[in-house]
Amino acid sequence: MREQQLRTVVTFHTTAEAMALEQICKHRGIGGKLISAPRQLSADCGIAWCAPVEETAAIRAAIEESVLEIDRIHEIMLYV
Amino acid sequence: MSKKINIWVLIAGAVVGIAAVALTALGNPANMGFCIACFLRDIAGATKLHSAAVVQYIRPEIIGLVLGSTIIALATGEFKPRAGSSPAVRFILGAIVMIGALVFLGCPLRMVIRMGGGDLNAFVGLVGFAIGILIGIFFLKRGFSLKRSYTATKVEGFALPFVMVALLALVLIVPTIFVFSESGPGSKHAPVLAALVIALIVGALAQKSRLCMVSGMRDAIMFRDFNLLSGFAAIFVVVLLGNIILGNFSGFSAYLQPIAHASQLWNLLGMVLVGWGSVLLGGCPLRQLILAGEGNGDSAVTVFGMVVGAAVAHNFKLAGSAASLTDGVYSAGGIATSGKIAVVIAAVVLLVISFMNIAKKERN
Repeated sequence: MREQQLRTVVTFHTTAEAMALEQICKHRGIGGKLISAPRQLSADCGIAWCAPVEETAAIRAAIEESVLEIDRIHEIMLYV
Repeated sequence: MSKKINIWVLIAGAVVGIAAVALTALGNPANMGFCIACFLRDIAGATKLHSAAVVQYIRPEIIGLVLGSTIIALATGEFKPRAGSSPAVRFILGAIVMIGALVFLGCPLRMVIRMGGGDLNAFVGLVGFAIGILIGIFFLKRGFSLKRSYTATKVEGFALPFVMVALLALVLIVPTIFVFSESGPGSKHAPVLAALVIALIVGALAQKSRLCMVSGMRDAIMFRDFNLLSGFAAIFVVVLLGNIILGNFSGFSAYLQPIAHASQLWNLLGMVLVGWGSVLLGGCPLRQLILAGEGNGDSAVTVFGMVVGAAVAHNFKLAGSAASLTDGVYSAGGIATSGKIAVVIAAVVLLVISFMNIAKKERN
């Protein structure tokens, strides 16, 4: 039986920014993966970064320090 | 991560399939219940942007798709005017996608409808489409971007919906200003009201579900997420069943299929252009109409580019010609030399656009 869990989801204006965050997170050892943007979140590029909520602070720091332009950071229930 | 299939995608796919079969039964050309490329090409002809006499008609389906998206987006608070993401490049990409589609003789949506009609040429197109998407993903992974869009004025957001309302009003009030085909695919059409209502429903469902042929394959390849692709599959299954039930299905064959040719290299390459260009644009031709309906000015520019691309394709004889059997004489159809040259030039232009829009920023 699939369960819903609280996840941190980052949405972007462009696919390139999503790809960039993936690389940055891999480089920094931050957990998570790119996903097709959930239907309930409006995303211009259709791609989002999804990670365990425990990684939220590390993701925020990575975005700020890398001067990455994102749309928003959400915390929503998703099937995992 | 396991994924939950969004029921809206399956419903939208099934309804698109039923709509395609119904529109064909009501008078649209065979295997062309819906075709964004063909229908925009018909509108380009009716508005005298090209003079190919057999493909001129104001297709209510296009008007309905855009306005269906607008109405549902307004009703659900998802109408968001935005624009400013490389509009000129998007215009060119729209034109290239259209040229590729007209070489193949169909957009990705018609490709699936043709597959459901037993047209093996469309399966070759699917291979080309997938190759094009893989090429597009290759550049996405290297930082390709048309840059972000920004919040725009309501006037910008309503640009394409307004054009559609104007087109509908003009065709109802003064139809004589347009030209309409008296023979060929352009002369075959479902009743205006039926086509409009069906397309309004499909447009609303496509907006609600985010149905997109390109994103479906992109998500499946990049994330193993088959959610949007399930809509694709639903269209194929429903059209196949519909054709079998209505007695329109006579097995799978590449020979003499409706409004199709069997020049397989060019079926493949035409759809490579469509897949590649659509990934760079962020959505298939259907999705561009839906996004323009919900206020995306960049998608509206893309649609205008597609209309111009259709006119160029017919004015310069780049579009494929369908195989035919007239008075016992078989013609294989295919692509003229000018079309083959155009495909190669378009691929070079896509390559240049792909490389020139790779972000060079170093981050860690």
